[in-house]
Formats: sequence, structure tokens, C-alpha cells
Amino acid sequence: MWFLLMLVILLTNGMSAFGLKMIAAWKLSETVKYPYLTAWYAGGLAAIALPMLLKGMRLGKTEIFWGGVAGALSIGGQIAMAVALSSGIPGHMVFPIAIGGSIFVVALAGRLIFGERMNLPTTLGLALGFTAVVLLGVS
Amino acid sequence: MGLLCCFLGAISFGLLGTALKAAERSKADAAGLVVSAYAWPALLMLVRTLALRPGGHIPTKVYVIAVIFGICAAVASLAFQVSIRIGKVTVGWLMMNLSAGVPVVVSIWMYHEKLTPLKVGALGLALVSIFFLSWGQVTERRAIAGNPSKGE
Repeated sequence: MWFLLMLVILLTNGMSAFGLKMIAAWKLSETVKYPYLTAWYAGGLAAIALPMLLKGMRLGKTEIFWGGVAGALSIGGQIAMAVALSSGIPGHMVFPIAIGGSIFVVALAGRLIFGERMNLPTTLGLALGFTAVVLLGVS
Repeated sequence: MGLLCCFLGAISFGLLGTALKAAERSKADAAGLVVSAYAWPALLMLVRTLALRPGGHIPTKVYVIAVIFGICAAVASLAFQVSIRIGKVTVGWLMMNLSAGVPVVVSIWMYHEKLTPLKVGALGLALVSIFFLSWGQVTERRAIAGNPSKGE
């Protein structure tokens, strides 16, 4: 189950941002981005919400609260990166710091707040993965 | 200011991963959480789109790929939320970020982008990392099977 989930995360999350690349390749105007992102979020929302509605499931206060927190943090991160890029910091610095730093924060929280312990192969995998993500950001 | 924003971005995204784990610990339903997390930005983007009133014709193919890749993102979010119930949030979060290697490979194949030594190195490291993470997961499952009190 865990392996299948990791494979799904790798493929689907990896491809999720590819549309912006395709739009850039089609040389469409910048203003297309906003209708694109609206349809992007709406598509994702419908894909999960429709099966939920069909099953008669409802959103609880916990989901609304944590969903709001997640949405706010996601938008906050995007704005911070956009401000950093517009202030002249090159992308090959912004992306590795923001993405690499986020992994560091999650690892710290995982250890200190959630008490996650890593065995040796996992620790090595994390160190190598961290380096790979930073290099991907630089490239 | 720019560099400070880079670090604020890192903290913000890091706290996002942490909040998702905290939501899991609060027994939030994974699908409900994804719906709620997508509803807010969808609304914001709709308001932004209506406010900007983009002129000119937007090709249908833009909406088609938007919906397809939006579904991909939502499925990834759901898979991540389910994965942190049975695995570590740090590993799940790293996998979400390692997935950046997939569009790099697709771009090389689709748009014939140059395969630089840096990209080769990064993709190679990502593969080795996935191998070690999988090995770590197998080792941990075996340890838990041998001694159930070790499980989280």
C-alpha cells in the first residue's frame, strides 16, 4: 500500500505542474494563467468532492479548519516565493531554499512534534533526496 | 528582503506539511481535507480571474489540460494524506518534492530539453534516494512485524 501511494505521489504530483510548461510552450498570453489555475483547482476539487457527495459524506469542522490552514500556508508560500523572485533573487536560489527548507522544517517537526524516528536507510534516503531536490531546483 | 522571503517561503511550505500531519492526528478525513484545501484557492482564483477579465479567446485545450493536471494534483494530495497515516510525514513530503524530477524527464522527452550533467546527477540521486527510502520502509515494517510495540 505504502509503495503504491509513493508511486502515485511521484507521478501525479510531478505531472500536476506540467500544464504551466505546456502553456508556456504554446506561447499564450500571461493572462491565461488565472483562468487556467481556476480550472486547475476546480478540476481537482470536483475529482474528490463528487465521489464524496455521491457517498453522502459531509465536511466536518476539523476538515474545514485544517483545509483553511493548509490553503493559507500554501498561498503564503507562493506569495513569498513570488516576492523573492520579483525582488531580483534568481530562481536557482529561490527554489532550492524554499523547497529544501520546507523539507528541513517538516523533518524537524516530524522528529520534535510527531516523534518520528528514522532508521539508517531512511536517513540516508532523506539526505540523498534532500540533495536531489536542491539540485533539481538549481537546474 | 528577497532572501528573507525565500526563507519565509520555506517556513510556510514546511508548516503546510506539518499542518497536514497535525490534521491527520486530529482524525480529519483525508478526502474532506483535500476538498477544503482546494475550495479556498479555487474561490480565490475565480475572484482573481473575474477581476482581471482576461481579454481574447482562451483555447479549449487550456481548460482541458487544466482539469487533467488539477485532477492529478488532487489525487497526489489525497495519496499524500493517506500515506502519512501509515508512513512518515517527512518521507511523504520528500516524495512530493522529489516528484519535481518527473516533469524534468517529460520535458527532456517532449520538448527535447538539454540533459545537463546537473540534471543527470539530480535524477540519479533521486532514484538512489527512493531506493533507500523503500529499503527503510521495508526494514521498519519487518521490525514492527517482529515487535508490534515498536509501531507508531
